[in-house]
This record gives sequence, C-alpha cells and structure tokens, in this order.
Amino acid sequence: MLTYIIRRLLLVPLLLFGVTVLIFAMLQFLTPVERSALYVRDIPKNENAIAGIIKQYGLDRPLYEQYWRWLVGRVDGITGERKGGIMFGDFGYSRTASQPVVDLIRNRFPNTLDLTIWAVAPVILVGIWLGVQAAVHQNGFIDQAARMFSIVGTSFPTFVFGLLMLMLFYANLQWFPPGRISDWANQVVFTDDFRHYTNLLTFDSLLNGRLDIFWDALRHMLMPILTLSYLSWATFLRVTRSSMLETLRMEYVTTARAKGLPERDVIFKHAQPNAMIPVVTLAGFSVVSLLGGVVITETVFNYPGIGQAAANAAAQLDVITVLGFALFNGFILIVSNLVVDVLYAVVDPRVRLS
Amino acid sequence: MSANNDVLLHVDNLVMHFPIYRGVFQRQVGAVHAVDGVSFDVKRGETLGLVGESGCGKSTTGRTILQLYKATAGKVLFDGADLMSLKREEMRWMRRQMQMIFQDPYASLNPRMTVADIVGEPLMVHNAATGKEIQERVAHLLELVNLSPSFAGRYPHEFSGGQRQRIGVARALALQPSFIVCDEPISALDVSIQAQVVNLLEELQEQFNLTYLFIAHDLSMVRHISKRVAVMYLGVIVELAERDELYSQPLHPYTQALLSAVPIPDPLADARRKRVILEGDVPSPVNPPSGCRFRTRCPIADKICAETRPEFRQLKPGHFVACHFAERFLQ
Repeated sequence: MLTYIIRRLLLVPLLLFGVTVLIFAMLQFLTPVERSALYVRDIPKNENAIAGIIKQYGLDRPLYEQYWRWLVGRVDGITGERKGGIMFGDFGYSRTASQPVVDLIRNRFPNTLDLTIWAVAPVILVGIWLGVQAAVHQNGFIDQAARMFSIVGTSFPTFVFGLLMLMLFYANLQWFPPGRISDWANQVVFTDDFRHYTNLLTFDSLLNGRLDIFWDALRHMLMPILTLSYLSWATFLRVTRSSMLETLRMEYVTTARAKGLPERDVIFKHAQPNAMIPVVTLAGFSVVSLLGGVVITETVFNYPGIGQAAANAAAQLDVITVLGFALFNGFILIVSNLVVDVLYAVVDPRVRLS
Repeated sequence: MSANNDVLLHVDNLVMHFPIYRGVFQRQVGAVHAVDGVSFDVKRGETLGLVGESGCGKSTTGRTILQLYKATAGKVLFDGADLMSLKREEMRWMRRQMQMIFQDPYASLNPRMTVADIVGEPLMVHNAATGKEIQERVAHLLELVNLSPSFAGRYPHEFSGGQRQRIGVARALALQPSFIVCDEPISALDVSIQAQVVNLLEELQEQFNLTYLFIAHDLSMVRHISKRVAVMYLGVIVELAERDELYSQPLHPYTQALLSAVPIPDPLADARRKRVILEGDVPSPVNPPSGCRFRTRCPIADKICAETRPEFRQLKPGHFVACHFAERFLQ
C-alpha cells in the first residue's frame, strides 16, 4: 500500500512538468508583439516602446530560455531580487483584478472550495445511499424517482438550469439573495472578533458560533449549490444504482446470505464496497466537470469564486490571469487524481497488491 | 418424528416459478418453471446425488431448499422444522445447520475480503466465537482443507481455482453444519483437481458425519460419491434409486439415455453397447410440454404421455420412477 502511494507520488512532479510545458506552449500561439501588448494600456507614443518591452522581458529569446525564465524567473542584477518564476509562486499580475494572480487565487479559492464542499458532500453521503437503495428495491418508488431524476438531470445543461433558478427564486419569488453574503454579515466578518480559522465562510461562522452568519451564507449559496450539484446527483445515482445491481447478482452476495448474515450486512458490507469501484472512477471524472461547472455557476449567480474571476479575465483577454487559473486547475486535477488512485487501492485489494 | 428420525431433509412437492414481466406496466406474462413439484428425502449422513442437464433446475432446487429463493409452493422439513414457515431471523439462525458450496470458486468469494474474514465471518455473525478464538478456528479450518494457515491474510485472487474451492469448503464448515448443499462444487475445476476436492469432501463427511446434497452433471463423479441418486429433467425428478440399482437397471428412458452417453474406457465394450441418442433440444421451461415432461424426446412416448403426468411411483423398494411404461424395463 505504502509503495503504491509512493510510486504515485513520484509521478506528480512529472505530471506538473507536463502541465507547465503544455500551458507554456499555448502561450506561444501569441506573437511577441501580442504578448507585449498585455502590458500596454494605450497606443504607445514612442514607436520603440513595444520593442523595448519585448527586449526587456526577453520575448524574442529562444523558447527554452523563455520557458526557463517563466519557470524560475530572473534575478535582478542590481538589487539581487528575484522577479517572476512560477516555481516561486509568481504567476504574474492580473490586469482585470488589479492584484497579483496568486493573491487573486488566494482570495477567491476559499469561496469556491466552500461552494464545492457543500455541493459534493451531500451527493457522496446521500446520493450514493439513494443509489444503493434504488438498486436494493429495484423498480420500487425510490428507484423509479431516481431514474426519472437522473434522466432529467443528465439532459439539462447547467447554464439553463442556473438561469431558470435565477429567474424563479431570485427575480420572481425573491426567496434567495445573489452574491456571497449580506452587507450586515460582511461587516461582522471583517471585524477582529471574527476569527478566520479555515477561510471557508460557512465553517468559520460555525466555529465562531455565529449561526446567523452561517445561515446567511448558506442562503446565498443554496442556488449555486443546486445548480452545481444536480448533475452530480444524477450521475452518481445512476452509476451507483447500476453498479450495485450488478454486484447484487454476484455469487458472493448469495454466499453472504447463505452464511446467515443479516440482510443489512449483506448489502452494506459485502455488496456496496464492491459496487464502489466504478463510483470512485466517476468521482475522478466529476472533479473535471465540477471545475467547469464552477465557472458557469459562479458567473450566473455572481458568486465571487475563482470560476467567476477566470471568466472575467477571459472575457477581457487577460491572458496572464487565465494562464494562472489554467495552471491552478491542472494542479487541482493532479492532486484529485492522486486521491482517486489511493482510494482505488483502499476499495480494491487487487489494485493494492499488484 | 420417531419413525423418520433417520431422515434429515424432507422435500415435499417443491415448486419454484420465476415470474416473467413484460410491457409498460410490467404485467406478469408467464413464468420460468424452474422446479415443478420435486419430492425427496435425504437421510442423515448420506450423500444424495442430483444429476441432470444444465438448466434442468437442479441448482435452483438446492438454493430453494436453503431458502435463498422464496419457493412458490411446497414444503421443506429440515430436522422436523418447516423452513418456509420460519421467520427471517429464525431462518438466519437455522443457517448454522445448513450451508452451501458453490459452483464457481472465482465468483463466490468476496474479492475485497481476506481468507480469514471470509472463513471467520460466519463465526462472528452467529456469535460462535470471539476475538482470538476466531483466528484459531480459522487456522484450524484451513488446516482441515489442507491449506496453510499462513494464507489467512491473503485475498482470493491470489489463489488457484482448487485452492479457492477449498476456501469455500472451509467457509461452509465453519459453523459445523450437519447438511451441505454442494452445487456442482467441482465442475469449474481442472480434472486433476476435481479428485482432490471430492476426496476432501468424502473425508470431511466421514469425520463430521455430514449429509450432502451433491448436485452435478458428471455421472461418473456422482456415482463415485453418492449413496442414492436422483435424476432431474426439466424441473421434475424422473427417477430416484440407490446408486448401484440406478446405474445397473435404469427404469426411465431419460436415465437410460444419460447412462448410455457415459464413455466407457474400453473400446470393445463401448462398441458393443447400445447408444440411446436423444432427438431435439430440451423444451423451454417457460412453456413445458403437457403430461410427461420428457415425451417430446422420448423414444417410447405414446398418447397417454401427452395427456397425464406420470406419477412418481415406487416400482421396487427404494426405486422411484416417473414413467407410464417403466414396467417394460423391469427384469
């Protein structure tokens, strides 16, 4: 088990290197002039200004040199200060957000994480359980409802669903407010009394014992959560159900019954863990769709997370910021794949021991 | 019950129909008549062989007896207790007495559990042992089936087919049952390993006074292990007799055809004997033939066979047969 994890960990630097090469290659689709234009706000009066920027930032140097400089930055000859270099956490300056990309991610990511935790946790806790129940009581009420829901769910695009929610519950019924948090709560959050343990607003408000703020944040998040997670509900339900149906027909389930196990143990100790293998695969895939869904959901609901920031940057051709987010997403994907691989080993001894 | 004290299992007119649902409203349009009125006794300490072609309902019979399926009709008395009237929890406790060895050793062991868990779990759920005692019992059981106790921490995929089947045997023995349904326990194994497992089963029977219902399609193997043999065709038992009686003087045309297909390892004797070759296929169990089930392929079928279902009657002491014309074969 340990060697398995170590082997996987050794792959991570290699994957990270691949991600940076890919993203750097994409940047090369822009000519040096276009790239230098990122730093210029108006048409320069001096014709040599652009050429000066190209020379200063080495945009005309060979590719490997540019890549190396992008990776580790360069040391200023006079002050000895290191400038740039993504390895040292300098992802450049975001023009649209008027702050360094790293700070932008640092400010925005906790909001997105907060949202995704609340979107994913119920799916994993309840959705999988529902899928199991649907399979155990095949053709029963839960099963029929779950099947209906997953057909509707998988065939409904996120942005349509989100706009529909927005129209119904925000504009017409005015049940839920848009944004992140109400103004009064925002003022409380930025006082010194409010301690930021995790930077995740819902968890911090609970840890501070402020149920009113927790409730306010949740009210703002409910619609984004639904929009972001209904697709996961649908797919997790369907995959768990079909995998569970298959497992329940396996002979070792009959063996478990013949042993005289209570039916509860037959289902939750023998069948379900074996049925989880495709579900873990799905969990890996759903991280990808979640990262995409976050962009749309946060934009639709004006929720200040990294998805919204990335969409803003893309709309204003802020290449540096978009690249920063691309790198960050790549990093998240690598980490989540690692987690999925380890989960595989937990779920399936054949993976662990081979 | 004093008169029947040597009978461990009494099966009376067991029926198992699997319904078929079709259409938008899932109406029942028919049923697979997997087992259609099967009756027999199994005596304490004996091995009753149950043979028949694949799909004739022998496995379903075994599983229905163990209440792994809910029978459509009939009665199963085990040691005098009516299994079908037992409540779920009572039946669960009854399972200590009756276990099953499955056909496919690759599918019947949970791939996520170690051997120790697989063999020890019955002990745990029935509170038959606790803590360290379980480990000791598991080690002992593994030794019993000629496996090293050091294998206890391994997973099923690390074993060969024969070893897996022996794990299955150890698991079945864990609760010290008195009755074991062996559902084709050797047909998934290599011939060289079949003998190993069969000999093991015989040794264990002697050691623990076990009663077997041995389901198989291999006639020579059944002859080797059984005391009495029942022949099944399309959901019904057509003949039941002591082993030697059945093999030397089969009274049902189907049994005769089956026996004539067993290869004899002597070319001269093989050339001299009469082969009965059956025409056609086994009819569908969804829509079985009227009267005698076997009449569509029977060489001696007559009008009466289509009209009345032949009674399962005792023609000689201990020799039962379901055929209108069985007397013809009496010598």
